[in-house]
Amino acid sequence: MTSDALRYVPSPGRYDEVVDADGTTRPTWQAVARALGSFDPTVLLERQRQADRLLDAQGTGHLVHEISLAPDRHGVTAAARSVSHPWRLDPVPFVIEAPEFRRLADGATQRMRALEALLVDLHGPRRLVAEGILPAPLLHSIAGYRPVGTHAPAGPWLVHYALDVVRDAAGVWHVVHDLTDAPTGLGYSLLNRTVLARVVPDGLRALGVAAVNDHADTLRRALTAAAPSGLRSPRAVVLTAGPADPTYVEHSYLATRLGLHLVEAADVVMRNGRLWLRVLDGLEPIDVVYRRVLDARLDPLEPGHLGGGSGVPGIVWGATGGRLTLANGYGAGVAEAPELAPYVAEAARHLLGEFLTLPLLQPDAVLGSSPVFVGDDASPFAPRPVVLRMQLARIGDEIVVMPGGAGRVLAEGDDPRRPTAQVVKDVWVVGSGARSRPVTVGAPPQVDFGGSVPKRVADALYWLGRAAERSEVTTRAARVVTAQLLQDPTLVSFEDGAWAVGVASLLRAAQGVPSAIAEYEGSSAELVGRELAATCTSAAAQLAALVQEATSVREYLSTTTGRVLGRLARAYPLFAGAATQADDLDTVLVDLAALSGLMMESTVRGPSWRFLDLGRRLERALGVLGAVEASMALHLPPMAQQPIADAVLGANESLVAYRRRYRSEVDFQAVLDLLLRDDANPRSLAYQLDRLREHTAGLGWSEGAALVERASVHSLETIDRDVVNGRIVSLDAFVLGVRGPLLELAAAIVQRWFADPVNPTLMRGH
Amino acid sequence: MAGRYRIVHRTEYQYGRPMADGFTTTHLEPREREHQRIESVDLFIDPSPDELERSLDALGNPVTRFAVHRPHTSLVVESTVVVEVGLQPVPAESPAWEDVAALAAAARDDLANEVGPYLASTLSTPFLPELATLTDDEFTPGRPIAAAVSGLCQRMFGGFAFDAGFSDVTTPIADVMAARRGVCQDFAHVACAALRSLGLPARYVSGYIETMSPPGEVKLFGVDASHAWCSVWAGDQGWLDFDPTNDQMPPMNHITVGWGRDYDDVAPVRGVVIGPSGSQTLSVSVDVVSENRQ
Repeated sequence: MTSDALRYVPSPGRYDEVVDADGTTRPTWQAVARALGSFDPTVLLERQRQADRLLDAQGTGHLVHEISLAPDRHGVTAAARSVSHPWRLDPVPFVIEAPEFRRLADGATQRMRALEALLVDLHGPRRLVAEGILPAPLLHSIAGYRPVGTHAPAGPWLVHYALDVVRDAAGVWHVVHDLTDAPTGLGYSLLNRTVLARVVPDGLRALGVAAVNDHADTLRRALTAAAPSGLRSPRAVVLTAGPADPTYVEHSYLATRLGLHLVEAADVVMRNGRLWLRVLDGLEPIDVVYRRVLDARLDPLEPGHLGGGSGVPGIVWGATGGRLTLANGYGAGVAEAPELAPYVAEAARHLLGEFLTLPLLQPDAVLGSSPVFVGDDASPFAPRPVVLRMQLARIGDEIVVMPGGAGRVLAEGDDPRRPTAQVVKDVWVVGSGARSRPVTVGAPPQVDFGGSVPKRVADALYWLGRAAERSEVTTRAARVVTAQLLQDPTLVSFEDGAWAVGVASLLRAAQGVPSAIAEYEGSSAELVGRELAATCTSAAAQLAALVQEATSVREYLSTTTGRVLGRLARAYPLFAGAATQADDLDTVLVDLAALSGLMMESTVRGPSWRFLDLGRRLERALGVLGAVEASMALHLPPMAQQPIADAVLGANESLVAYRRRYRSEVDFQAVLDLLLRDDANPRSLAYQLDRLREHTAGLGWSEGAALVERASVHSLETIDRDVVNGRIVSLDAFVLGVRGPLLELAAAIVQRWFADPVNPTLMRGH
Repeated sequence: MAGRYRIVHRTEYQYGRPMADGFTTTHLEPREREHQRIESVDLFIDPSPDELERSLDALGNPVTRFAVHRPHTSLVVESTVVVEVGLQPVPAESPAWEDVAALAAAARDDLANEVGPYLASTLSTPFLPELATLTDDEFTPGRPIAAAVSGLCQRMFGGFAFDAGFSDVTTPIADVMAARRGVCQDFAHVACAALRSLGLPARYVSGYIETMSPPGEVKLFGVDASHAWCSVWAGDQGWLDFDPTNDQMPPMNHITVGWGRDYDDVAPVRGVVIGPSGSQTLSVSVDVVSENRQ
């Protein structure tokens, strides 16, 4: 293959990864071309689309940042949304030969040791200042330098380190910058490889590309190795700032890959020198915190803290007691300060007696390039600089470099530190010896927290269950009414508007607003149109809540669940008020059904699932009661009863069951039996009460069980057809009697299981 | 006036609703200085803390951290200290300010780490160009540093209005410079920034000042306050304190608690509570009683 086959013209006078100075394709790339099979733009475009879809399945968090309209329960704000974008994976990887990568890895390892020594010195004796290497004013003016609260950690300062490197126009690798505070990119790298392994599996195999997935295991071992000494099985968690953080998707993905709990500040509390995880039944100790929260936002008690009361109060103080490891250490962030970068080489000479092999990139340097797929038929590739992010972890005295990484593509005029292109290349290390050397240092095993669930997770799962059901109720109600209207547009004026009042009332119940309609403005057609539009708006809001809750507990849901959530998030714009199409509602209903199926079938039955299902069952019970109250309790002219009963049955997914069982025209008692008392109908009230009974018993929660019992007792009351003021009073009484204890149950769940004063407040200074 | 002082500094938070956990870091215990001896320190905390630790921070200030881990609706932190304070002598002769700046820049070994932090441009002490309006006419070539700083002190006293309502702990000094008003913390930040931007090490000093009552009037309880001023490094003359809020060099009736690069390093009481959000109220009272005149 030549560069002609690629139809790629590199920038003249610059080192290019694929084409050498004579215009010949480099030997490695001839092998790559064979392995990848085709550089046909249509093939590559298809691969890129496949990669997009796979990334979506994991990247629902990005979508959440796009759809939420106001700061939500998790504090996702417009600002966070604007910096969180899904990225695209270039279907052509960045390929580097093993010997060259090894030289890079040696340079990176050396730099990690140098930065470790730098941190030890800056937070300790400050020899670099005393000996005139580093100007004191420069050091003390760095916002990230807080000598006041900082103490040397028991283990290393840097457990995880990342750095960006790039080739200049002459092909020499340079360091762009260091990441020492809470290094990002590892999760994305692992994810990118997972995706590309699906898109071009043969290519990876044929080239013998070094595997990167071991690095998650390496990092986990690094974390446990850094644990306070004397622990046989340390417990580690991943600390995140929550879904509002622009890199939350990575936190969630990493936690899953590491097999660790993802916790937010509110999930933990520092007491008596130990950090504790708030779980459903109390507190469990934590030994290692892999922090994805920056120094400046870690502990509101420390000077220079940003973000008011956010963070974990006392964690820095607590870590000084030696019973908690922060990885990386609090204060590690100073090593990545741009002001310090020019001094790192001199510091290494001074502290280690070594010359750094990787030079620092100068601001005006001209960079080398690599072909980046742009999808244009005429010239499918453009030469662009690519910045490699390398990942390193320290296990005891050994430093392990991940054989791969993420290649971030620079757009024209980009600062190499901050690429704007949002295009990433997976980095493939190929050739002999590409396989990473096995890690020899042992590390204590990590114990799982067993069946324990962080309180916040149970909380979010419960609301996820409710939001999922609520989305279904609203969407289905809109779908059923829309379908009836499509089949028979004359229904709106049927029986003097009786049908219109019945379905409007049903739609209002689905929105969760008082359903009674005494009088209305305009025609009955306008009434139905108005309520349909409002129901669609409400469904959209429920869908947004659903995706948001799911995002905050993403690691508890299966990958397939993530894909369905991605589809639902993208369905959000379909709810265009009154213009919403029946087909779109159908699409959403199918996805919601897939979601509830996955929740049932792909979630491990433990306390977490119990809360998910508790939310769903409670919401469904309330939904059935609302629908029955809104439509069946209305005394309607006989002719209107049939379509209204159809609507109620349809809205509760019980129409087919009704027809099969009764094969008759509508019968008031039969409909109520099916919706309220039939414990074989998974949509009935009785069925929900049975599940609620199981869950409260499973939790060993007598207060909850008593409330379910009270609801059950009321659900046995008889219903006759006596009408007072146009309503069937015994049905109203029935609904009230059952709903009361259920609403009490909803309040009691929050009070008993989730209510915890967990919002830190900064006491005002004076 | 130099002498023996008893200081009672009481901080009280009312939370309205019970808090599950409370974490507090205090810089309330005074540190020894050449002209200041600590006789006694007593820290009263209610409710009594479940854990407490006393240590020195990296700048040498005593710091006490404590936490309460049971429901509480209020927190009282009351420190009672007795100190003996002498008057810091101002040297009759001091080196030229440029020489001090050159010494600071060339400092090595322990001295580099002693003066280094106080050359920093921090969030609260940024090097604003307009600071030159305060220093241009005072820091003339070859002028002794004590005289130049005294001139800065006078200039600030004359040019800035004390206005307790103008600022809080988060007000940037750019606003203070523009409005020419603020409180002692602001003036101390301004003076530190002005000196540091000339390459002169300047400490932000946190402490107390005894408020004098007009002759013949009985002094009211609780009218004193936390105070802040500055200390400039004068080469071999050591650190010289001055108070731009009261135009005093040396300060006359000041009790040092600690010092740092800015307020944030030595905030007297910093706390976080975990619990339901609600209205919290704060009341602070400081009493400085001269025991000489009793």
